[in-house]
Amino acid sequence: MSEESPRTGMAQSLLREIARALAALAETGACDAIDLRSLPLTGGDRADLETALGRGEVAATFDASGQSEVWETRHAGVWWVRHLGGDGRVAAETIEITPIPDILAAHPDDIRASAAALMAELAETTEETAHV
Amino acid sequence: MSDGNHPGGTIGEALLARGISRRSLLKYTGYLASILALPPMASRAMADALAKAPRQSVIWLSFQECTGCTESLTRSFNPTLEDMIFDLISLDYHETLMAVSGAAAEEAMQAARAANKGKYVLVVDGSVSTAEGGIYSTNAGKTNLATLKDMASDAAAVLSVGTCAAFGGIPHAKPNPTGAVPVSEIVTDKPVINIPGCPPIPEAIAGTVAYIITFGKLPDLDHLSRPKAFFGDSIHDRCYRRPFYDKGLFAKSFDDEGARNGWCLYEVGCKGPVTYNACATLKWNGGVSFPIQSGHGCLGCSEPDFWDRGGFYKPLSASVMGNPAIIGGAAVAGIVAGAASVALARKRRAEALAAQSKASAAAQEKMP
Repeated sequence: MSEESPRTGMAQSLLREIARALAALAETGACDAIDLRSLPLTGGDRADLETALGRGEVAATFDASGQSEVWETRHAGVWWVRHLGGDGRVAAETIEITPIPDILAAHPDDIRASAAALMAELAETTEETAHV
Repeated sequence: MSDGNHPGGTIGEALLARGISRRSLLKYTGYLASILALPPMASRAMADALAKAPRQSVIWLSFQECTGCTESLTRSFNPTLEDMIFDLISLDYHETLMAVSGAAAEEAMQAARAANKGKYVLVVDGSVSTAEGGIYSTNAGKTNLATLKDMASDAAAVLSVGTCAAFGGIPHAKPNPTGAVPVSEIVTDKPVINIPGCPPIPEAIAGTVAYIITFGKLPDLDHLSRPKAFFGDSIHDRCYRRPFYDKGLFAKSFDDEGARNGWCLYEVGCKGPVTYNACATLKWNGGVSFPIQSGHGCLGCSEPDFWDRGGFYKPLSASVMGNPAIIGGAAVAGIVAGAASVALARKRRAEALAAQSKASAAAQEKMP
């Protein structure tokens, strides 16, 4: 993010939008998200936004069809979610205003599949042990 | 692993069988929501809908074309996030990509057609030869014209991929010796979506297919039956050189001070102001660049008859700027009630063309 990159004031506008969404989350529990990729942000705007939001206590990286980075900003309930596509470029990037981003939680279908797989593994192990 | 409603299994089941988590699907729908300009909160609902949907059968026909459209879709994808489009579709027939050939390939196409009658999406790249009954372009002993009519009759919708299929493209350029026409002139009783470009942007192809699978209907279309999510803005509107245009700063040649300073390329023939496409935002080669960023004006390749609109290096003429067929309205279509909705797009296009003729006639009258 070059410091010479021009500023359009977009970062300040986004911060106000995030503040309104965070207030709504606090009052009603309504979650929201802002798609950064669809906005005409300059490098300078993006750097300003990242600096203003800062980093909080939680950060996660994972590899699911490409690398992803998720971190909570210094404002509880405001998360920066970045998914990388091919060649390490940013494929999707959102600011999520939520207690926890959906992408971090295990999906019920995956949990069911894992439960069945673990049971099957244990059954196999038990059967092998019985043959010893 | 089937719920009974979908004998071939759902996308969710197929992903699970390959050890791909729902997290990947949620990432993909987040990416889709972004490129389709949908609210980011829609990604969870999209992921749930996709997981329950069957893989979409796709039959891909290539007519008078250069294979650039297929190259665009396949070469751009790395085995990562964007690659997931191939988990959503079952590409049942594609002459360039499939392993089999000859009679076995034709049998595969007919088998896919029978198994998915009325449900498959027919993708066509290339224009359709009609001169002399279409004999200038044949395959497996049949003219493209006959194949298109036959295969479209059992399709749910037709995607005309690339400017040749959408508008006739280069084969349609004067003097058009093969009588090349766009798919929409042959298929008039099924929804036809145009995804033009020479070649089209791969995200526009994949995003449109993914939208149909996710929502079970066609995306919003403009008056030329192009998805508005990708063709709603002109290149000029989204061009990073636009501020120079607004300030009146233009390159006069490709090696002058203006060109070196990155000024607007309007005066060296850029067709960005009358070209609707997403090159300026999605860009090419993994988002690296697009023609204007690389120093060349837009050729206008996603517009009808771009090859015959005067020189690529001449500034836009008033006649092109005023073409209502380029600047016209919009239409909405659904895959089920698609025929009626696409008819609306066709009607609006006809109205736009009529308005254009009227404007031309008025201009002629005013001429001394």
